Amino acid sequence: MASSSGMEEERDSMEDYEALISTTDVELLKRAWRNEKAAPEILRFEFQLVSRLREQIELMEDTIHDKSTSSTDPLFLSLFQMDFDRTLFLLRSYLRIRIQKIEKYMFHIRKTDELWNRLSKEEKEFTEVCIEDLKQHLEESVLSKLPATYQSILRQSVTSEKDDMVPEPELDTFVLCRSKEYLTGIQLEDGPVDDRSKLFEMEPGVLHFICYKSIKALVESGKIDLL
Amino acid sequence: MYGRKAYQLVKEFASGEKGQLAPFNSDLFEQVVAECSQHHKELQSLIRKIEEEGLDIQTARNADYYGALIHHLALVRNKRCLMAYMYNRAEIMPSLSWKIGHVLPKEIEEKLSHSEVEYFKKHSAALKSCMSKLMVDLTVDMVPPKDPYIQVRVLDDIGEGIVLSDDRTANFVRHSMHFLKRTDAEPFISQGLMEELTS
Repeated sequence: MASSSGMEEERDSMEDYEALISTTDVELLKRAWRNEKAAPEILRFEFQLVSRLREQIELMEDTIHDKSTSSTDPLFLSLFQMDFDRTLFLLRSYLRIRIQKIEKYMFHIRKTDELWNRLSKEEKEFTEVCIEDLKQHLEESVLSKLPATYQSILRQSVTSEKDDMVPEPELDTFVLCRSKEYLTGIQLEDGPVDDRSKLFEMEPGVLHFICYKSIKALVESGKIDLL
Repeated sequence: MYGRKAYQLVKEFASGEKGQLAPFNSDLFEQVVAECSQHHKELQSLIRKIEEEGLDIQTARNADYYGALIHHLALVRNKRCLMAYMYNRAEIMPSLSWKIGHVLPKEIEEKLSHSEVEYFKKHSAALKSCMSKLMVDLTVDMVPPKDPYIQVRVLDDIGEGIVLSDDRTANFVRHSMHFLKRTDAEPFISQGLMEELTS
Protein backbone atom coordinates (compact mmCIF):
# COMPACT_ATOMS: atom_id res chain seq x y z
CA MET A 1 0.00 0.00 0.00
CA ALA A 2 2.72 2.34 1.04
CA SER A 3 4.69 1.62 -2.09
CA SER A 4 1.77 2.30 -4.45
CA SER A 5 1.01 5.66 -2.84
CA GLY A 6 4.68 6.43 -3.05
CA MET A 7 4.59 5.76 -6.77
CA GLU A 8 1.53 7.90 -7.15
CA GLU A 9 3.23 10.68 -5.35
CA GLU A 10 6.17 10.31 -7.61
CA ARG A 11 3.95 10.45 -10.65
CA ASP A 12 2.21 13.51 -9.29
CA SER A 13 5.48 15.25 -8.75
CA MET A 14 6.55 14.17 -12.25
CA GLU A 15 3.41 15.77 -13.67
CA ASP A 16 4.01 18.88 -11.62
CA TYR A 17 7.52 18.99 -12.91
CA GLU A 18 6.37 18.64 -16.50
CA ALA A 19 3.76 21.33 -16.05
CA LEU A 20 6.40 23.58 -14.59
CA ILE A 21 8.85 22.87 -17.40
CA SER A 22 6.23 23.55 -20.06
CA THR A 23 5.85 27.11 -18.84
CA THR A 24 9.50 28.09 -18.91
CA ASP A 25 10.42 30.69 -21.45
CA VAL A 26 12.48 28.28 -23.50
CA GLU A 27 9.50 25.93 -23.78
CA LEU A 28 7.26 28.85 -24.70
CA LEU A 29 9.70 29.92 -27.36
CA LYS A 30 9.83 26.37 -28.66
CA ARG A 31 6.08 26.49 -29.04
CA ALA A 32 6.12 29.88 -30.74
CA TRP A 33 8.90 28.66 -33.02
CA ARG A 34 7.00 25.51 -33.99
CA ASN A 35 3.85 27.49 -34.70
CA GLU A 36 5.73 30.05 -36.74
CA LYS A 37 7.49 27.33 -38.66
CA ALA A 38 4.31 25.50 -39.58
CA ALA A 39 1.96 28.42 -40.20
CA PRO A 40 1.80 29.65 -43.79
CA GLU A 41 1.32 33.28 -42.73
CA ILE A 42 3.26 35.38 -40.26
CA LEU A 43 2.05 35.18 -36.67
CA ARG A 44 2.17 37.75 -33.90
CA PHE A 45 5.67 38.56 -32.76
CA GLU A 46 6.24 37.36 -29.20
CA PHE A 47 7.46 40.71 -27.94
CA GLN A 48 7.69 39.98 -24.23
CA LEU A 49 8.90 36.44 -24.58
CA VAL A 50 11.74 37.44 -26.88
CA SER A 51 12.88 40.31 -24.70
CA ARG A 52 12.79 38.06 -21.60
CA LEU A 53 14.79 35.43 -23.43
CA ARG A 54 17.37 37.92 -24.56
CA GLU A 55 18.02 38.81 -20.94
CA GLN A 56 18.26 35.16 -20.00
CA ILE A 57 20.66 34.46 -22.84
CA GLU A 58 22.88 37.29 -21.71
CA LEU A 59 22.80 35.94 -18.19
CA MET A 60 23.68 32.46 -19.42
CA GLU A 61 26.53 33.85 -21.45
CA ASP A 62 27.93 35.64 -18.40
CA THR A 63 27.60 32.53 -16.29
CA ILE A 64 29.43 30.43 -18.85
CA HIS A 65 32.13 33.03 -19.09
CA ASP A 66 32.55 33.19 -15.30
CA LYS A 67 32.58 29.44 -14.99
CA SER A 68 35.09 28.96 -17.77
CA THR A 69 37.61 31.18 -15.99
CA SER A 70 37.07 29.54 -12.63
CA SER A 71 37.95 25.89 -12.22
CA THR A 72 34.60 24.30 -12.95
CA ASP A 73 34.24 20.74 -14.15
CA PRO A 74 34.57 20.84 -17.96
CA LEU A 75 31.71 18.38 -18.35
CA PHE A 76 29.40 20.65 -16.41
CA LEU A 77 30.53 23.56 -18.52
CA SER A 78 29.95 21.71 -21.75
CA LEU A 79 26.42 20.79 -20.67
CA PHE A 80 25.75 24.37 -19.83
CA GLN A 81 27.16 25.45 -23.17
CA MET A 82 24.96 22.97 -24.99
CA ASP A 83 21.85 24.27 -23.27
CA PHE A 84 22.90 27.79 -24.15
CA ASP A 85 23.52 26.90 -27.80
CA ARG A 86 20.12 25.29 -28.10
CA THR A 87 18.34 28.29 -26.68
CA LEU A 88 20.26 30.59 -28.96
CA PHE A 89 19.46 28.38 -31.92
CA LEU A 90 15.75 28.55 -31.12
CA LEU A 91 15.83 32.32 -30.93
CA ARG A 92 17.83 32.68 -34.10
CA SER A 93 15.69 30.25 -36.00
CA TYR A 94 12.52 31.94 -34.79
CA LEU A 95 13.68 35.36 -35.96
CA ARG A 96 15.03 33.87 -39.17
CA ILE A 97 11.76 32.19 -40.14
CA ARG A 98 9.94 35.47 -39.63
CA ILE A 99 12.43 37.44 -41.71
CA GLN A 100 12.12 34.88 -44.48
CA LYS A 101 8.34 35.14 -44.42
CA ILE A 102 8.65 38.90 -44.67
CA GLU A 103 10.99 38.55 -47.63
CA LYS A 104 8.40 36.43 -49.35
CA TYR A 105 5.19 38.33 -48.64
CA MET A 106 6.38 41.87 -47.98
CA PHE A 107 3.81 43.64 -50.12
CA HIS A 108 0.95 41.62 -48.72
CA ILE A 109 2.09 42.17 -45.13
CA ARG A 110 2.58 45.89 -45.67
CA LYS A 111 -0.88 46.52 -47.02
CA THR A 112 -2.73 44.26 -44.55
CA ASP A 113 -2.98 46.11 -41.25
CA GLU A 114 -3.68 42.98 -39.27
CA LEU A 115 -0.43 41.38 -40.39
CA TRP A 116 1.54 44.61 -40.25
CA ASN A 117 0.74 45.03 -36.57
CA ARG A 118 2.12 41.60 -35.82
CA LEU A 119 5.66 42.65 -36.66
CA SER A 120 8.29 43.98 -34.29
CA LYS A 121 9.80 47.41 -34.79
CA GLU A 122 12.93 45.97 -36.40
CA GLU A 123 10.88 43.77 -38.68
CA LYS A 124 8.78 46.73 -39.77
CA GLU A 125 11.86 48.70 -40.65
CA PHE A 126 13.25 45.74 -42.53
CA THR A 127 10.01 45.34 -44.47
CA GLU A 128 10.01 48.99 -45.50
CA VAL A 129 13.58 48.80 -46.75
CA CYS A 130 12.91 45.53 -48.57
CA ILE A 131 9.85 46.91 -50.32
CA GLU A 132 11.76 50.00 -51.36
CA ASP A 133 14.63 47.93 -52.76
CA LEU A 134 12.50 45.39 -54.59
CA LYS A 135 10.25 48.10 -55.96
CA GLN A 136 13.20 50.01 -57.31
CA HIS A 137 14.63 46.87 -58.84
CA LEU A 138 11.39 45.86 -60.53
CA GLU A 139 10.64 49.38 -61.66
CA GLU A 140 14.04 49.78 -63.18
CA SER A 141 14.07 46.43 -64.95
CA VAL A 142 10.43 45.91 -65.96
CA LEU A 143 7.83 48.51 -65.07
CA SER A 144 9.55 51.61 -66.45
CA LYS A 145 9.71 49.91 -69.84
CA LEU A 146 5.98 49.30 -70.00
CA PRO A 147 3.28 51.76 -71.12
CA ALA A 148 2.30 54.26 -68.40
CA THR A 149 -1.04 52.68 -67.57
CA TYR A 150 0.61 49.33 -66.86
CA GLN A 151 3.34 50.50 -64.51
CA SER A 152 1.80 49.72 -61.14
CA ILE A 153 3.64 47.15 -59.07
CA LEU A 154 0.48 46.07 -57.23
CA ARG A 155 -1.99 45.99 -60.11
CA GLN A 156 -1.86 44.50 -63.56
CA SER A 157 -3.14 47.69 -65.16
CA VAL A 158 -5.09 50.81 -64.22
CA THR A 159 -8.30 49.00 -65.06
CA SER A 160 -7.81 46.41 -62.29
CA GLU A 161 -10.21 47.09 -59.47
CA LYS A 162 -8.04 45.76 -56.68
CA ASP A 163 -4.42 44.82 -56.10
CA ASP A 164 -4.09 41.66 -58.15
CA MET A 165 -0.34 41.29 -58.42
CA VAL A 166 0.56 40.77 -54.77
CA PRO A 167 1.88 37.37 -53.72
CA GLU A 168 -0.08 36.10 -50.74
CA PRO A 169 0.51 33.15 -48.46
CA GLU A 170 -1.50 30.06 -49.24
CA LEU A 171 -3.91 29.72 -46.32
CA ASP A 172 -5.53 26.63 -47.79
CA THR A 173 -2.55 24.43 -47.04
CA PHE A 174 -2.85 21.61 -44.57
CA VAL A 175 -1.09 21.63 -41.24
CA LEU A 176 -0.55 19.15 -38.46
CA CYS A 177 -1.91 20.38 -35.19
CA ARG A 178 -2.83 19.37 -31.68
CA SER A 179 -5.28 20.98 -29.32
CA LYS A 180 -4.59 21.58 -25.66
CA GLU A 181 -8.20 21.51 -24.59
CA TYR A 182 -11.50 20.14 -25.81
CA LEU A 183 -12.64 22.33 -28.68
CA THR A 184 -15.91 22.21 -30.47
CA GLY A 185 -17.69 24.07 -33.22
CA ILE A 186 -14.81 24.30 -35.64
CA GLN A 187 -16.10 25.19 -39.07
CA LEU A 188 -14.30 23.34 -41.82
CA GLU A 189 -13.54 25.49 -44.83
CA ASP A 190 -12.65 22.81 -47.30
CA GLY A 191 -14.09 19.60 -48.63
CA PRO A 192 -17.50 19.09 -50.25
CA VAL A 193 -20.02 21.88 -49.66
CA ASP A 194 -22.52 19.61 -47.83
CA ASP A 195 -19.88 18.70 -45.24
CA ARG A 196 -18.97 22.25 -44.43
CA SER A 197 -22.02 22.90 -42.30
CA LYS A 198 -21.00 20.07 -39.97
CA LEU A 199 -19.04 21.31 -37.02
CA PHE A 200 -15.81 19.64 -36.13
CA GLU A 201 -14.54 18.89 -32.65
CA MET A 202 -11.10 18.26 -31.27
CA GLU A 203 -10.04 16.19 -28.30
CA PRO A 204 -7.05 17.43 -26.36
CA GLY A 205 -3.77 15.87 -27.40
CA VAL A 206 -5.08 14.21 -30.55
CA LEU A 207 -3.21 14.94 -33.76
CA HIS A 208 -5.17 16.38 -36.65
CA PHE A 209 -4.25 17.11 -40.22
CA ILE A 210 -6.41 20.03 -41.12
CA CYS A 211 -6.78 23.01 -43.43
CA TYR A 212 -5.01 25.99 -41.86
CA LYS A 213 -7.85 28.37 -42.69
CA SER A 214 -10.28 26.45 -40.49
CA ILE A 215 -8.15 26.73 -37.37
CA LYS A 216 -6.45 30.06 -38.10
CA ALA A 217 -8.25 31.91 -35.30
CA LEU A 218 -7.56 29.13 -32.80
CA VAL A 219 -3.85 29.15 -33.59
CA GLU A 220 -3.78 32.90 -33.15
CA SER A 221 -5.49 32.70 -29.77
CA GLY A 222 -3.05 30.00 -28.68
CA LYS A 223 -5.62 27.21 -28.22
CA ILE A 224 -4.10 25.00 -30.87
CA ASP A 225 -0.45 24.24 -31.41
CA LEU A 226 0.94 23.53 -34.84
CA LEU A 227 3.52 20.83 -35.29
CA MET B 1 1.37 34.43 -81.68
CA TYR B 2 0.84 36.93 -78.89
CA GLY B 3 2.38 36.05 -75.56
CA ARG B 4 4.52 33.21 -76.86
CA LYS B 5 7.82 34.91 -76.15
CA ALA B 6 6.79 35.81 -72.62
CA TYR B 7 5.74 32.22 -72.12
CA GLN B 8 9.18 31.05 -73.25
CA LEU B 9 10.78 33.41 -70.78
CA VAL B 10 8.80 32.05 -67.85
CA LYS B 11 9.27 28.51 -69.02
CA GLU B 12 12.99 29.02 -69.15
CA PHE B 13 12.94 30.02 -65.51
CA ALA B 14 10.60 27.24 -64.48
CA SER B 15 12.62 24.52 -66.16
CA GLY B 16 15.81 25.68 -64.48
CA GLU B 17 17.03 23.95 -61.39
CA LYS B 18 15.26 25.10 -58.25
CA GLY B 19 17.12 27.74 -56.28
CA GLN B 20 19.70 28.12 -59.07
CA LEU B 21 20.01 31.15 -61.27
CA ALA B 22 20.33 30.86 -65.01
CA PRO B 23 22.00 33.73 -66.92
CA PHE B 24 19.67 36.68 -67.33
CA ASN B 25 18.07 36.38 -70.75
CA SER B 26 18.17 40.03 -71.70
CA ASP B 27 17.63 39.29 -75.37
CA LEU B 28 14.29 37.57 -74.96
CA PHE B 29 13.38 39.96 -72.17
CA GLU B 30 13.81 42.99 -74.43
CA GLN B 31 11.81 41.31 -77.15
CA VAL B 32 8.88 40.85 -74.79
CA VAL B 33 9.16 44.48 -73.68
CA ALA B 34 9.10 45.53 -77.35
CA GLU B 35 6.03 43.36 -77.89
CA CYS B 36 4.35 45.21 -75.03
CA SER B 37 4.99 48.59 -76.66
CA GLN B 38 3.63 47.23 -79.93
CA HIS B 39 0.44 46.04 -78.20
CA HIS B 40 0.04 49.39 -76.56
CA LYS B 41 0.40 51.22 -79.85
CA GLU B 42 -2.23 49.05 -81.52
CA LEU B 43 -4.47 49.29 -78.49
CA GLN B 44 -4.36 53.07 -78.62
CA SER B 45 -4.95 53.28 -82.33
CA LEU B 46 -8.00 51.03 -81.96
CA ILE B 47 -9.33 53.14 -79.11
CA ARG B 48 -8.79 56.25 -81.20
CA LYS B 49 -10.66 54.62 -84.05
CA ILE B 50 -13.61 53.81 -81.81
CA GLU B 51 -13.64 57.36 -80.52
CA GLU B 52 -13.45 58.81 -84.00
CA GLU B 53 -16.47 56.77 -84.96
CA GLY B 54 -18.26 58.56 -82.14
CA LEU B 55 -18.81 55.44 -80.06
CA ASP B 56 -18.46 55.19 -76.30
CA ILE B 57 -15.69 52.79 -75.30
CA GLN B 58 -17.67 51.64 -72.27
CA THR B 59 -20.56 50.41 -74.39
CA ALA B 60 -19.12 49.81 -77.85
CA ARG B 61 -19.02 46.08 -78.59
CA ASN B 62 -17.78 46.01 -82.16
CA ALA B 63 -14.77 44.28 -83.73
CA ASP B 64 -12.46 47.14 -82.78
CA TYR B 65 -13.45 46.88 -79.16
CA TYR B 66 -12.63 43.19 -79.01
CA GLY B 67 -9.42 43.80 -80.92
CA ALA B 68 -8.44 46.37 -78.33
CA LEU B 69 -9.38 43.96 -75.57
CA ILE B 70 -7.12 41.28 -77.02
CA HIS B 71 -4.23 43.71 -77.09
CA HIS B 72 -4.94 44.79 -73.54
CA LEU B 73 -5.08 41.21 -72.29
CA ALA B 74 -1.94 40.25 -74.19
CA LEU B 75 -0.17 43.22 -72.65
CA VAL B 76 -1.31 42.30 -69.15
CA ARG B 77 -0.23 38.74 -69.70
CA ASN B 78 3.17 39.85 -70.92
CA LYS B 79 3.54 42.09 -67.93
CA ARG B 80 2.69 39.23 -65.62
CA CYS B 81 5.25 37.01 -67.32
CA LEU B 82 7.96 39.68 -67.18
CA MET B 83 7.22 40.35 -63.55
CA ALA B 84 7.11 36.66 -62.73
CA TYR B 85 10.48 36.20 -64.38
CA MET B 86 12.05 39.11 -62.55
CA TYR B 87 10.30 38.46 -59.27
CA ASN B 88 11.18 34.80 -59.11
CA ARG B 89 14.77 35.57 -59.92
CA ALA B 90 14.76 38.29 -57.29
CA GLU B 91 13.34 35.80 -54.80
CA ILE B 92 16.39 33.57 -55.16
CA MET B 93 18.68 36.40 -54.14
CA PRO B 94 17.63 36.65 -50.49
CA SER B 95 18.10 32.90 -50.20
CA LEU B 96 21.57 33.37 -51.67
CA SER B 97 22.44 35.98 -49.09
CA TRP B 98 21.35 33.50 -46.41
CA LYS B 99 23.45 30.72 -47.84
CA ILE B 100 26.63 32.30 -49.10
CA GLY B 101 26.82 35.52 -47.16
CA HIS B 102 27.00 39.07 -48.35
CA VAL B 103 29.59 38.75 -51.08
CA LEU B 104 28.40 37.64 -54.48
CA PRO B 105 30.73 35.10 -56.12
CA LYS B 106 31.89 36.10 -59.57
CA GLU B 107 30.27 33.18 -61.37
CA ILE B 108 26.87 34.19 -60.02
CA GLU B 109 27.34 37.88 -60.60
CA GLU B 110 27.92 37.21 -64.29
CA LYS B 111 24.46 35.70 -64.58
CA LEU B 112 22.69 38.73 -63.20
CA SER B 113 21.52 41.91 -64.84
CA HIS B 114 22.89 45.21 -63.56
CA SER B 115 19.74 45.97 -61.63
CA GLU B 116 19.78 42.52 -60.06
CA VAL B 117 23.31 42.97 -58.77
CA GLU B 118 22.25 46.27 -57.23
CA TYR B 119 19.23 44.61 -55.67
CA PHE B 120 21.35 41.85 -54.17
CA LYS B 121 23.71 44.38 -52.61
CA LYS B 122 20.89 46.46 -51.23
CA HIS B 123 19.02 43.50 -49.90
CA SER B 124 21.95 41.99 -48.11
CA ALA B 125 22.74 45.40 -46.65
CA ALA B 126 19.15 45.59 -45.39
CA LEU B 127 19.47 42.14 -43.89
CA LYS B 128 22.73 43.07 -42.24
CA SER B 129 21.37 46.24 -40.72
CA CYS B 130 18.30 44.37 -39.50
CA MET B 131 20.49 41.79 -37.80
CA SER B 132 22.68 44.41 -36.20
CA LYS B 133 19.54 46.08 -34.84
CA LEU B 134 18.33 42.77 -33.51
CA MET B 135 21.81 42.20 -32.12
CA VAL B 136 21.73 38.60 -33.28
CA ASP B 137 23.62 37.10 -36.18
CA LEU B 138 20.99 35.04 -37.95
CA THR B 139 23.23 33.57 -40.60
CA VAL B 140 24.93 31.13 -38.25
CA ASP B 141 23.29 28.16 -36.58
CA MET B 142 21.32 27.11 -39.64
CA VAL B 143 20.91 23.54 -38.40
CA PRO B 144 19.94 22.58 -34.86
CA PRO B 145 23.11 22.08 -32.81
CA LYS B 146 23.78 18.53 -31.72
CA ASP B 147 27.07 19.26 -30.09
CA PRO B 148 28.49 22.68 -29.37
CA TYR B 149 31.81 21.61 -30.85
CA ILE B 150 32.53 20.06 -34.22
CA GLN B 151 35.54 18.61 -35.95
CA VAL B 152 36.51 20.43 -39.13
CA ARG B 153 39.15 20.21 -41.80
CA VAL B 154 40.46 23.38 -43.40
CA LEU B 155 40.20 23.17 -47.19
CA ASP B 156 42.01 26.34 -48.11
CA ASP B 157 44.49 28.62 -46.38
CA ILE B 158 42.41 30.98 -44.31
CA GLY B 159 45.15 32.69 -42.39
CA GLU B 160 46.83 32.86 -39.06
CA GLY B 161 45.78 34.41 -35.83
CA ILE B 162 42.04 34.36 -36.48
CA VAL B 163 40.32 35.30 -33.24
CA LEU B 164 37.54 32.98 -32.18
CA SER B 165 34.59 33.84 -30.01
CA ASP B 166 36.27 32.57 -26.84
CA ASP B 167 39.23 34.93 -27.36
CA ARG B 168 41.56 32.19 -28.51
CA THR B 169 43.39 32.54 -31.77
CA ALA B 170 43.75 29.78 -34.30
CA ASN B 171 45.92 29.12 -37.32
CA PHE B 172 43.82 27.76 -40.12
CA VAL B 173 46.43 26.26 -42.38
CA ARG B 174 45.27 24.19 -45.31
CA HIS B 175 44.43 20.56 -44.47
CA SER B 176 44.79 21.14 -40.77
CA MET B 177 42.09 19.77 -38.52
CA HIS B 178 40.46 21.65 -35.68
CA PHE B 179 37.94 21.14 -32.98
CA LEU B 180 35.89 24.32 -33.00
CA LYS B 181 32.73 25.81 -31.72
CA ARG B 182 30.00 25.25 -34.28
CA THR B 183 29.17 28.95 -34.42
CA ASP B 184 32.80 29.79 -35.15
CA ALA B 185 33.12 27.24 -37.90
CA GLU B 186 29.80 27.78 -39.70
CA PRO B 187 30.73 30.94 -41.62
CA PHE B 188 33.83 29.19 -42.99
CA ILE B 189 31.87 26.09 -43.89
CA SER B 190 29.26 28.08 -45.81
CA GLN B 191 32.03 29.84 -47.74
CA GLY B 192 33.46 26.46 -48.66
CA LEU B 193 36.72 27.03 -46.76
CA MET B 194 36.17 24.24 -44.26
CA GLU B 195 34.36 20.98 -44.15
CA GLU B 196 32.77 19.27 -41.22
CA LEU B 197 34.14 15.84 -40.42
CA THR B 198 31.45 13.47 -39.38
CA SER B 199 32.39 10.27 -37.75
